[in-house]
Amino acid sequence: MTTVKGLLNRIFLIEILKGMALTFRMMCSRAVTRQYPIEKRETFPGSRGMHAFVRDMKTGKEKCIMCMRCANSCPSHCIYITKKKREEDGKQYLAQFDIEALRCIYCGYCVEVCPVCALVLTEEYEYSAGSREELYFTREKLLQNWDDFAAKQKGDTYFNKFWRPEGLDPSKMFKVKREQGPVALRDTGSLPDVHLGPEDKETK
Amino acid sequence: MDFSGLLCILGFSVQNGFPAKIAVIFINIIVVVAVILLHVTYAPYFERKLIAHMQVRLGPMRVGFHGLLQPIADVVKLFFKEDTVPATDFKMVFAIAPVIAVFATMSSLAVIPFFSTFYIANLNIGLLYILALSAVATYGIIMAGWASNSKYAFLGGLRSAAQLISYEVSLGLSLVGVMIMSGSLNFIDIVEAQHVHWYGMYLVPQFLGYFVFILAAFAETNRSPFDMPEAENELVAGYFIEYSGMRFALFFLSEYVAMIVMSSVAVLCFWGGWTVPPIIISAVPLLAVVPGIIWFILKVYFHLFLFFWVRATLPRYRYDYLMRLGWKVLIPLALTNIVVTSIIKYLS
Repeated sequence: MTTVKGLLNRIFLIEILKGMALTFRMMCSRAVTRQYPIEKRETFPGSRGMHAFVRDMKTGKEKCIMCMRCANSCPSHCIYITKKKREEDGKQYLAQFDIEALRCIYCGYCVEVCPVCALVLTEEYEYSAGSREELYFTREKLLQNWDDFAAKQKGDTYFNKFWRPEGLDPSKMFKVKREQGPVALRDTGSLPDVHLGPEDKETK
Repeated sequence: MDFSGLLCILGFSVQNGFPAKIAVIFINIIVVVAVILLHVTYAPYFERKLIAHMQVRLGPMRVGFHGLLQPIADVVKLFFKEDTVPATDFKMVFAIAPVIAVFATMSSLAVIPFFSTFYIANLNIGLLYILALSAVATYGIIMAGWASNSKYAFLGGLRSAAQLISYEVSLGLSLVGVMIMSGSLNFIDIVEAQHVHWYGMYLVPQFLGYFVFILAAFAETNRSPFDMPEAENELVAGYFIEYSGMRFALFFLSEYVAMIVMSSVAVLCFWGGWTVPPIIISAVPLLAVVPGIIWFILKVYFHLFLFFWVRATLPRYRYDYLMRLGWKVLIPLALTNIVVTSIIKYLS
């Protein structure tokens, strides 16, 4: 049904003129473009980027307890863990911990599931490489990633929100995970009063 | 410059002052072509910038200050592109199609007076000449579509032919009102005829004609929202899909020159060319000092801006809507305009 108003709108192209007024107004407004390599945006805390092993300031090593939870929960099966038994005392040790970053889908399940908060997806996102090998993170590379990330951070401590996933009952978490506070990024002499991982690092 | 020797060889009888006139025309041609080519190089840059800012983006920013050298980079790139020719039986047609398109649009520049004393040719049938050549330019598009041996290009060419038939009529009819009012087809006469009125522009009495003319000019130059022959989303690039390198650049050149020509015709026929309406001059006498060429350029720039502005705003028309608009709206409007204008002219 055409009303008089509708007819007038059609004759005088009101809708088109409104649209043109809108584009003209937009032309006078500021562009929202960020010119990426020149202007970089601050990452949001908890944005999931490069993989890293948290370096324990006490032992200087990673905190992994070889529970295999991360490897089992990984949807793309890109975490490879090998445990080996030491000849002299029969204790298990972590022989291999590799993450194939090119297959990773950055879901963050491994970080959420880790009972000792050993693994983290840092906010570092600029790590493109020229070869596949460079993005195959071994244990040493993962620790190196943490050091590089820690060097870039401004504060002395760091906490990733996926270490304590929202919506989960904390009482059902592992003790270490429940009590996990910010970790020390660098050795400042007086370490903050934070939980630095389990005492019994190597399981029997 | 003395062309008398050359002219004797060509069989011209050399009279007094004749070679000088030829030399002046040559210089005018060089100036006009150089200025227009510069504009054509930078028109896509301003188009990209304007559309980008209308979409709250920045547009070209990398080559030079705010991307100012982008057109030069584009031209250099086009020069060094490989020239590919598709497997077709019409290689000759394929080769001359872009030349026809450019030839027709560039020749249209010959009759456009940029101000009262600067023109290449002062033709008594200037308006008719431009209408004829704008139709010839469409032949380039149809031939390109035909010779490309590609269904996309062919569809683009066919659409162009249909569009030409629909919109050439209303384009011509919309200008009849101006011809009746001014009693001339000569652009300089048309502009001077406008200047005697207090309003100084045929835009005021011929608003209907102007409306039809602008819509038809959009369709005639294959610009959005009537860019059917090159509809990117459906025909990839339409008629010039098989063209690359400089041949592609020629089509590009033709499209932008056609836009400048259509804007100039709109300015000359409806906006009073290089003159300012007497009522404005009497209100602000200082404006009389500004040279005519400035007014002309400003008015042409406004129309180019309108082309880009509409492109940034409106989506493409559906094909049957395009035809319906052409035959059922624009032609009746243009005819009404002619009838009313003739009656008023007859009575007064």
